[in-house]
Amino acid sequence: MAAQGLRLVSPAFEAEALAALDSLYRAALRLTRNAADAEDLVQETYLKAFRAADRFEPGTNLRAWLFTILHNTARNRARDRARDTVAIDSEIVDRAADAPPPGSRSAGGPETPESLLLRETLAPDLQAAIDELPEQFRQAVWLRDVEEFSYAEIAAMLSVPVGTVMSRISRGRHLLFDKLKALRPANA
Amino acid sequence: MHNCDSLDPLVTPFVDGELPDPDRRAVEDHLRVCPPCHSRVAAERAVHELLRARRGTLCQTDAPDALHLRCAGLVHREANAGSAKAEETRISRAHRSLELPNQETQNSRTENLRTPNLRTPNPELRTPNPTRVAPYALAASLVAVVGGAFLYQATDKSARLMAAELVADHAKCFALNSALGTLQTASVVEQNMGAAFDWSFHLPDDPVREGLQLVGARLCMYGKGKIAHIMYRHQGNPVSVFMLPKTMRAQEFVDVLGHEAAIWCANNRTFVVVAGEPRRNVEQIAEFMQASLH
Repeated sequence: MAAQGLRLVSPAFEAEALAALDSLYRAALRLTRNAADAEDLVQETYLKAFRAADRFEPGTNLRAWLFTILHNTARNRARDRARDTVAIDSEIVDRAADAPPPGSRSAGGPETPESLLLRETLAPDLQAAIDELPEQFRQAVWLRDVEEFSYAEIAAMLSVPVGTVMSRISRGRHLLFDKLKALRPANA
Repeated sequence: MHNCDSLDPLVTPFVDGELPDPDRRAVEDHLRVCPPCHSRVAAERAVHELLRARRGTLCQTDAPDALHLRCAGLVHREANAGSAKAEETRISRAHRSLELPNQETQNSRTENLRTPNLRTPNPELRTPNPTRVAPYALAASLVAVVGGAFLYQATDKSARLMAAELVADHAKCFALNSALGTLQTASVVEQNMGAAFDWSFHLPDDPVREGLQLVGARLCMYGKGKIAHIMYRHQGNPVSVFMLPKTMRAQEFVDVLGHEAAIWCANNRTFVVVAGEPRRNVEQIAEFMQASLH
């Protein structure tokens, strides 16, 4: 009689959900930039997920569903904190995302072997370059290229239209490219 | 033929290989005659490929063991707490805070994108699940074991106390492992534990001969430091092999909390085999481990 809500959690659901814990923690770390806050965020995510397990539609992506809860929870927490701080205007970020990447049309010269240029990138440099990206581009690129979610899944997580997801990914990748290129020796 | 502006929304799906055929060919045609667009597509592709190639390195940070334990314990803890009414209130609150973005506002640029319906409730999950009973029993026995460990602290501060604490770790780690279902190979265990304790060792080469199957290894807290916890299954039953660094103990056999513990020492390390099996089985497993672990 006590487990009115939690008895809806099947062992299979619980096990599959918990298998995503490390990925969720990494995402939480990038959102909060703080290990203690990341742990809290992940724990709250699981609590909500287990309580609302009956709302999950089997056959869809459970990892994506958990990431959506994680991002929603993080957004709500940020909103709560924002009363005392200056809110980030996401419209400005989106306008920046829609603008063409700097230099993308200007250089008409010979092509550079872009992938060769990045091949030797050191792991700490790559991690640092990712961490330095503005948050909304960082999330979009990470969720797509590292976690391999679909555009629609990312749109649900970040609560933005699919088109915005794609332009943030594009913009984020170009910012990363410019950062990593700048790290290469001048003769590279 | 695309012009440069109309290419904008197509670049990312093109790089990701998500563009339907006619669009993909049109982009390729344009890239052949437009070096600036070719260059920006190449830059985006280079980053995409670099990140994919480095996923392993970028995903090295794992969640702390304590967080794994807390989250794995959520279902059991919550299931035992609160009245049905309170639970109902909490669920409706959770539902509100789980509000998902309105899918209709997402102006999809490509037609064939998956849009999972996250709102449809699943009637199958509404019925109580009888298999839930097993984890409850496990959680209950875990409480009994941990409680027992504290009782022993008051009565016996010797090998029995150590064994009782290790039996608690034994139960806790296997409970976690059944939730996560992780399996590690011998080389991963040797590498992880070797690095954690500056310990060069080899696990027994042919555990199957003894009816043992390697599950994996974890770091456990003991006293003020960490110890290695290597987990096997012996004919399906959990068996733990603990290594306590820089600890000397007399060779001993202890029966505690319904488990048998075989203790021995080598190279300033104490080893303890723990299993809820008859003593002669545990003796045999300890002998087998002794030949390899020191």
